[in-house]
Amino acid sequence: MLSIYYGDMPEAIYNPARFFKNSYKDDWITDELSKQMIKDVDKSEVIGARVIDSPVLGGISPRELSGGVKTLIDIYKCPDKVFNASACGDNCAKWLIVLGNRMDITINLRHIMDFGEESFTIKILNTGQTVNSMDEMIPVAGMFVR
Amino acid sequence: MNGIHKITVSNSSVKYEFDIKRNITIIKGDSATGKTTLVEMIGEYYESGESSGINLVCDKSCRVLAGRDWSTLLLTIKDSIVFIDEDNDFMISDDFARMVRDSDNYYVIVTREGLPNLPYSVDEIYGIRSSGKYAGLFQAYHEFYHIYGDHTPDERVIPHTVMVEDSNSGYDFFKGLSDGKDYEVISAGGKSKIFTEILENKRDGSIVVIADGAAFGAEIDRISKLVGRRRDIVLFLPESFEWLILYSGVLKNRELEKIMKRPNDHIESRDYFSWERYFTHLLMEMTKDSYLKYSKNRLNPVYLHDGISQRIRENIRNIEL
Repeated sequence: MLSIYYGDMPEAIYNPARFFKNSYKDDWITDELSKQMIKDVDKSEVIGARVIDSPVLGGISPRELSGGVKTLIDIYKCPDKVFNASACGDNCAKWLIVLGNRMDITINLRHIMDFGEESFTIKILNTGQTVNSMDEMIPVAGMFVR
Repeated sequence: MNGIHKITVSNSSVKYEFDIKRNITIIKGDSATGKTTLVEMIGEYYESGESSGINLVCDKSCRVLAGRDWSTLLLTIKDSIVFIDEDNDFMISDDFARMVRDSDNYYVIVTREGLPNLPYSVDEIYGIRSSGKYAGLFQAYHEFYHIYGDHTPDERVIPHTVMVEDSNSGYDFFKGLSDGKDYEVISAGGKSKIFTEILENKRDGSIVVIADGAAFGAEIDRISKLVGRRRDIVLFLPESFEWLILYSGVLKNRELEKIMKRPNDHIESRDYFSWERYFTHLLMEMTKDSYLKYSKNRLNPVYLHDGISQRIRENIRNIEL
């Protein structure tokens, strides 16, 4: 299940891109779900563990992936840690739902991410409430973040 | 610093072209749109100049601020456009806000988080998009777009409640306009309380929320997400109430006309943390020896006289006040 803590969270990893740079392993990149996230968010194709084809930047290494996709892979590969997912744009939101359907993960958000119009199940740790739509989420999240 | 500054930065893969229009600009939006690449290119050009392979054109020095020693570095940066990427948590600190206020730099900050210590405008929050055109054979062209568009309602709104950000002259004005009419004017007690006030409002009918757009940037995301899901709420976000008076033509002054056409050229970032403060100062200065003498805390009743209030109201489009 996906759980969110809104607002300042000192134990969360504020800079997930730096964590990724110093922690990722080859198999994080070649994992099937990682490849799908890279393809969807960065529009880039994983050629091999150390080479990714970006439509804008050309051949890049995993270190040059977007901050959003690095954060998604951090969350996927280190579910015991809490990352600042405000490093992710709204185009990462559906993948947070996918990850939350696969495993128990907790993220820290410092803004109101848009999870779209389909129903979902997310626990808001600040209040203990479970919300199923943006209509339910916004009034709760907006009390803790801007 | 004042004025509008055009920045063009490019390498063999990407080209960015945009204008920086006031002291604080925010960049946010989807992942993988090139925000970090932009900041990295600015930093690499500063370090190595043209030998970096990057071409940067701007009439001001462009710098990157990052890391634990940010405050020491910032003390040395003058008259520059300072870029800050989203992985720097100092941007939310009081110390950073104080240094921004006291400096003559412009700041471009990448963040999705609202920064309540900084008075930035709802109009200076941008995303980056690839325009689809190519500046060179293999060079993708990137430009800025407004994240939050025009809030003017498409159809005429008759409010049941008008919620004003504070209880100063602006509140007095809208309260005065409501005399003998069927709507109520309330104060939210500060811009950070508007979100809660909307949620707790139990009155029937439509709500018009009036706030100073020049300093509402930190609030706009949660407010627009809430308002976007409700048909009964309309936002009216002029730069400030004082701007509304100055823009209305109540004061006849050639210099004022020039200023209002392009305020950017007249507002010195070191002197005015936000445009809201500049327009208050300007209105007070321009009216100090006249019957229109303006005070921020309490409205001079002359602004409610028919001819004057009508001119001010003319700039509040599609809202029946």
